[in-house]
Amino acid sequence: MGLILFYILGGLTLVAALGVVTTRNIVYGALFLLVAMSGVAGLFVLLFAEFLALVQLLIYGGAIIIVILFALMLTRTTDFSVATEHRRWPMAAVISLALFGLLAGAAIGDSGDYNTYQRSGISIEELGKGLFENWAVPFEIASIVLLVALIGAIVIGRSGEEEGGEGDQG
Amino acid sequence: MILELAHFQILAAALFCLGLYGVLARRSAVMVLMAVELMLNAVNINLVAFSAFRDISIVTGQVIAIFVITVAAAEIGLALAVIMRLYRRRGTVNVDEIDWMKG
Amino acid sequence: MGIEEAWLIPTYGFIAFGVIALFGRYLPSQGKHLSIIAIVAAFVTFWPVLFDFVSKGVGEYHVPRVWFSAGDISVGSGMIIDPLTIVMLALVTLVASLVQIYSLGYMRHSHKGHIADDPRIGWYFAVHSLFTAAMLTLVLADNLLLLYLAWELVGLCSYFLIGFWWERKSAVNASKKAFITTRVGDVGLLIGILILVAETGTFDISDIIYAVVNGDVSEGKTTLAAFMIFLGAMGKSAQFPLHVWLPDAMEGPTPVSALIHAATMVTAGVFLVARLLPIYEMAESAQMFIAIIGIVTALMGATLALVVTDLKRMLAYSTMSHLGFMMLTLGAGGFTAAAFHLLMHGVSKAMLFLSAGSIMHAMNDETDMNKMGGLRHRMPITGAAFTIGALSLSGIAPLAAFWSKDEMLLAIQDRLSPVFVVLFLVAVVLSALYMSRATYLVFFGPLKVENRRVHESPALMSMPLVVLAVLSVFAGFIALPLGGGYEGIGRFLFYGEHGHDFEFQPLWTVVSIVLATGGFGFGIWLYKSKRTTVDNLRVRFEGVHRVLINRYYMDTAYQWIVDRVVLALGRSVALFDRTIVNDRGVNGAGLTVLGMGKRLRSHVTGLFADYGLAMGSGVVAIALYVWLRSV
Repeated sequence: MGLILFYILGGLTLVAALGVVTTRNIVYGALFLLVAMSGVAGLFVLLFAEFLALVQLLIYGGAIIIVILFALMLTRTTDFSVATEHRRWPMAAVISLALFGLLAGAAIGDSGDYNTYQRSGISIEELGKGLFENWAVPFEIASIVLLVALIGAIVIGRSGEEEGGEGDQG
Repeated sequence: MILELAHFQILAAALFCLGLYGVLARRSAVMVLMAVELMLNAVNINLVAFSAFRDISIVTGQVIAIFVITVAAAEIGLALAVIMRLYRRRGTVNVDEIDWMKG
Repeated sequence: MGIEEAWLIPTYGFIAFGVIALFGRYLPSQGKHLSIIAIVAAFVTFWPVLFDFVSKGVGEYHVPRVWFSAGDISVGSGMIIDPLTIVMLALVTLVASLVQIYSLGYMRHSHKGHIADDPRIGWYFAVHSLFTAAMLTLVLADNLLLLYLAWELVGLCSYFLIGFWWERKSAVNASKKAFITTRVGDVGLLIGILILVAETGTFDISDIIYAVVNGDVSEGKTTLAAFMIFLGAMGKSAQFPLHVWLPDAMEGPTPVSALIHAATMVTAGVFLVARLLPIYEMAESAQMFIAIIGIVTALMGATLALVVTDLKRMLAYSTMSHLGFMMLTLGAGGFTAAAFHLLMHGVSKAMLFLSAGSIMHAMNDETDMNKMGGLRHRMPITGAAFTIGALSLSGIAPLAAFWSKDEMLLAIQDRLSPVFVVLFLVAVVLSALYMSRATYLVFFGPLKVENRRVHESPALMSMPLVVLAVLSVFAGFIALPLGGGYEGIGRFLFYGEHGHDFEFQPLWTVVSIVLATGGFGFGIWLYKSKRTTVDNLRVRFEGVHRVLINRYYMDTAYQWIVDRVVLALGRSVALFDRTIVNDRGVNGAGLTVLGMGKRLRSHVTGLFADYGLAMGSGVVAIALYVWLRSV
């Protein structure tokens, strides 16, 4: 049962991911991303990380995709009649495939002791406990990170002086 | 066949490499960002999978995954702000044309 | 006080130079009197040395002193006192004293209405002192290094004095020409010295002579060294072809010409050859070369003196001619005769120059003989002195230079082929001719109207003239045994085993008297009987005249060499330096680095995809490598 679900969700995710990186239309790409995120969320459920799945959907699907779509809207240019790929894309493909091969090979050849697929997971309570007790400091830091990112985004994205002239040539 | 860790690992690897391809080969900065998201998700899958196939009572994997998501969110926000600024200044988000650090 | 203290003689001059050059502006009259004191002191100091020398017996005395030593070679700064030295000391100190006293009167110019000293008179006298000191050192030196040093110093002073009035471009050019021409010769001198030193291991002159005479040095090397050293003598003594600087050197003040270019510096070359005569006796080809050069120079100078209209230049060419005589005599091994003539010529020629200066001073620096005439009425003293000098140098008995010319003739006919004798006699006739021409043109004939105001020189200038005139009349008699232990110049100033008594060979003496007197008389007659004869001659021999006026085109030749060869070479070297050394070498290194840097930088494209690809490839490569290793 788990296997079937796995194949379905995994396949969905991969196809969507493929779509993200190959489509000509950016907006389609964003939507493909949404599908991929959802697939990942499903996989999380399969891995007994329900909370994480919810978080995934909320944040990715709810916030990040929206932001991306907004950005797409605001930076629309018409030159995408031209190729959407960088001119060196064959090499990128090769490298990606090679890396995949290596990683997969490593995965298959791994003979660590792993449990087999469980039938139960952990409760949110345990997750929370772990988060706030063992990982309290990173937690706080993460919140600071978010704050900094927020401020930064505001500062950078502020509309204002159009500085003329080149800057960094030479 | 039972689900094994290797399944998830291979899936994560594939996702990661797709994302890598997107980062290296796509032209629009926003596309690149989306590919980066894929890579991060792949990492998350890996983390959670390890957490599930080891001692499940150790929540480390999931916690780290949470942090990854957090940071990814922050990063996207900033990155998109930069892209918007860039677009306003130079009129393009085509990575081929953003080469002022050259030389 | 005696021979041992002879080093004092030059020292006064060095001290005077130092004081005047450094403190001249604080001293009264810029310190010119110091110079006079120094030179007179030198002259005075000479006499005890002479007496000591005579009382000890005529010979060669060394006063050695070590200056420094390096390894095997030690360089001395001692003295040789021998008859040659004595003669030179006498000549230099006497003439220098007289010239400096004369300069006190001469170096005063009309300045804004009243007469005042030349504005840079201090420096003038300072260099005079330095020059005399250097010349005396040259004469006293017992080793070649010290001699070479003094040689160069003398040349330097000549440069300063010729170009003393450097406001005049012609003077500057003349001083440069003198220095460069003599420098060419000095290279030879240095090479010659170094050859001798390398072969004998010492700088000491007596030791070198001893080694050469005893055959320690191979004949080839001896000859080569002899030639090279003579090259230096050629430069300093204005022998053909390095004579071109002497006529131009007349740009300097006339007393300078009298001292340096008549009696002292130009005789340094003759002195050198005489001092090293034993070496030349061992190198026959070199000695023959000297004789040839000597007679060529003598004839050249005489012919050129015949056509110039400038009084000082005439005297310069005459000096060149007489120096040629001296060299010719040395080429014949006539040590005594050459040194004797050096002395006599020095006295008479200096006087002639001073007379010329006297005339120039009275006629506002005019030197064109055609503008003079009949000046003996206005300047009797000068006129008498000049005439005496002219007669003396023409070889009219019993004046000074007659005796020395006679000695020279005897030496030449004794050793060299008749060709030389004949040419020598031709030159004698010519020298009488140009002397009489000059004398007549300047002092005899009608007095020009514009020269009516000309007057005799002040006492400071005429007095030295008188002294030298007296010497010119009577000095020649030192050739004869005068009693009191002195047995004639031949016994005093000798070289070799023993001297020779005064010989009287009637034939030659009569020949020389006849030729000299005849030549002189012919000249007087020629110029007396109106210009028309002379002009006719000029027209008939126009080609010859043109060659002579252009100084045998030697200056043209030298200029061509300088332009085409020297400067062209310099240009090509400069080109090489600019393109290869600079552009390739120095700049090239820098440009190479820049180029490499540019090429290396090309990988920084600024496109992050490229960077990412590079990183990715690297990761894959490393991973592959690790995996393959483990397999």
